[in-house]
Amino acid sequence: MKNQINIRHFFLVLLSVFCITTSFAQKKKKDKVRLKAQYVKIMDGEIYFDISAGARVNRKNIDVANIDLTIFNKINGKKVKFGKTTTNMHGKSKFILKSLSKIEADSTNTYNFVISFKGNESFKKASKSISFKDANIEAKLVTKDSINYITATLIDKEKNSPISDVILTTQIQRLFKPLKIGDEFNNTDKNGTISVLIEEGIPGVDGNLAIEVVLIDSDVYGTVKAIVNAPIGKPIVDESTFDQRTMWSPRNKTPLFLLIFPNLLIISVWGLIIYLILNLVKLKKS
Amino acid sequence: MKNYDKLLNDLAPKKFGKRGVLWTSFLIIIIIIGLIAYIDQLIKGQEVTNMRDYALWGIYISNFVFFVATSFVGSVTVAILRLTNNSWRTPLVRIAEIISLAAIVMAGITIMIDMARPDRLLNLFIHARLQSPITWDVIIIPTYIVLSFLLLYFPLLPDLAILKKYFKEKSPTLSKWYGIFSLNWTGSKAQKIIQEKSIKIIALMIIPVGIILQTIDAWLFSTTYRIGWDSTNFAPYFISGAFVAGVGALITVIYIVRRVKKLENYITDFHFDKLGKLLTLACLIYLYFNINEYLIPAFTAKKGEMVHLDTLFTGHYAPLFWFVTIGGLIFPIIALLFKKGRKPLPMFFIGLIVVIASWWKRYVIVTPTLLHPFLPIQGVPESWHHYFPSLHEWLITIATLAMALLIITILVRYLPIIPIQRTADEQELLKNNKNTKS
Repeated sequence: MKNQINIRHFFLVLLSVFCITTSFAQKKKKDKVRLKAQYVKIMDGEIYFDISAGARVNRKNIDVANIDLTIFNKINGKKVKFGKTTTNMHGKSKFILKSLSKIEADSTNTYNFVISFKGNESFKKASKSISFKDANIEAKLVTKDSINYITATLIDKEKNSPISDVILTTQIQRLFKPLKIGDEFNNTDKNGTISVLIEEGIPGVDGNLAIEVVLIDSDVYGTVKAIVNAPIGKPIVDESTFDQRTMWSPRNKTPLFLLIFPNLLIISVWGLIIYLILNLVKLKKS
Repeated sequence: MKNYDKLLNDLAPKKFGKRGVLWTSFLIIIIIIGLIAYIDQLIKGQEVTNMRDYALWGIYISNFVFFVATSFVGSVTVAILRLTNNSWRTPLVRIAEIISLAAIVMAGITIMIDMARPDRLLNLFIHARLQSPITWDVIIIPTYIVLSFLLLYFPLLPDLAILKKYFKEKSPTLSKWYGIFSLNWTGSKAQKIIQEKSIKIIALMIIPVGIILQTIDAWLFSTTYRIGWDSTNFAPYFISGAFVAGVGALITVIYIVRRVKKLENYITDFHFDKLGKLLTLACLIYLYFNINEYLIPAFTAKKGEMVHLDTLFTGHYAPLFWFVTIGGLIFPIIALLFKKGRKPLPMFFIGLIVVIASWWKRYVIVTPTLLHPFLPIQGVPESWHHYFPSLHEWLITIATLAMALLIITILVRYLPIIPIQRTADEQELLKNNKNTKS
């Protein structure tokens, strides 16, 4: 009898331990995903959302890789599924919008989107709203008295009116980071236009410069970029010795003097050695 | 004829005595121990050595440089003395040729030991780039081995033919082998012309080839742009160092051979006196290059170089550095200035010290530089900051030295170490001269 009670007690304890641990496991704290999204429009190029997902786990900022995100178009308070994307190993994703003309805007000509993450076993659900109006930058190269300028006009596309008093950045594409040119702040005038002097002697491959005029992360228009290719740079002289015969080249590009003199030495020394060995043969035969 | 018989009796190779057998057995045992250590190194990899990321060249490379240096004795003693018609060279040249051959063969083997993967040796040829000093080394070492062999072999031919006759009844098997290697030498005029011509060509060739060998050995270091090696002085510094190491080794071996083979009538005090003067000259030249190598950097050194020099002058390597400089250079110069210092026994000890100092000199050249890289050594285990050879490295290195000595011992056993024919010709010439004068 006493044994039976003990066995019952034992099972009771076991069950309670199981229940407690299961409930703890269920209540395991999920981390919060921070979604960031930026609307980017490149004139005569791609229009896309630049999305990144991060989280703070164990007091460290991490990239949240490989999570599925759903993009909704918000029309009159309703969310219409627009597309899906997945973050890469750095927690980033580029969602391309094929054309704005096929997307519905609200009454103020504002496009509204919601990027949504429905959550998983490690992270809570999260969403990010993004709204923007369509704007264009029309940029061109102007030469006055042999001095080059880049002029650009920022236009609200729906209203077809210039946008004044907005900062546009002018820069030249470079490998790691763009090279900024002109004044620190170039505000558009009442015609929505800026004009920036391009200094002489800026190096470019074959003398070509890719000049960018950018409206950076505007609250209303997002990021809009116009690129003008201009052959006004100083051509970069390729200093690569890849095709040359150098001391550090592979053996098929050995410097000629190193091919000629050592081989001459080797041939003459070994020629004499062969002659000496032949002399040994001669001695044996004589 | 009586004289000729005596000459043959004195100079013909003789069987090992008890001491000879003991010595050879001792060398073979050391070689076997080294071979076991080497097999273990092949199985476990170079982990068994104390070479790590920084000290990536250790005792094997310093031993290799020592062998290369010692092999220079063939160029110096044989070729230079021959071309300058120094007749006192006759009883010394063959020993020099033997040392030269043994040393350069062992240099080739030692570099393979350092490679750790000898099965990849062929890659040195398949993927050779003429821009690399390693490739030059791969070419010059076999060239010098062949030349050293020919330098030993051509003058041997008449002696081998003499020994074939001499051993015909005493030991027919040995006589047969001497016959094979003598290449039917009869001493005919045609044969003599070919032999003389060939020896002259080798004597002329071995000087530039020897200098190229030492230069390439120096360039292996000086082209690496490292503190202590980055020196335009390095090639002549190595050549003069090889001159010292070679003559030092020659004196030591000659003394032992003279004593064991009882050749006091052939290798006299006069020869030791001459060798002593040659060694003094070598030491003086080498001292001059040493002053250049250390004094100028001491004046102009930047911080990194100063740290390196301090380690040598007053730091960790100071005892070794001053031993090789004072013991291996200054002391021999002073001792050899006195006539008593140029007597056989003192010369033997001086030669021995010079050889030991020459070996350690290479260690001082190789190791400290590797432990002074341009960027500080950090983030590695403490033991990587220092280098001292492991037991495996010592056993293998000692075995290579024993192997060199075994090659010398075997060649000394079976070859006439003083040229019989040439000595006979010289004695005949001397006699004729006396007769003519009287």
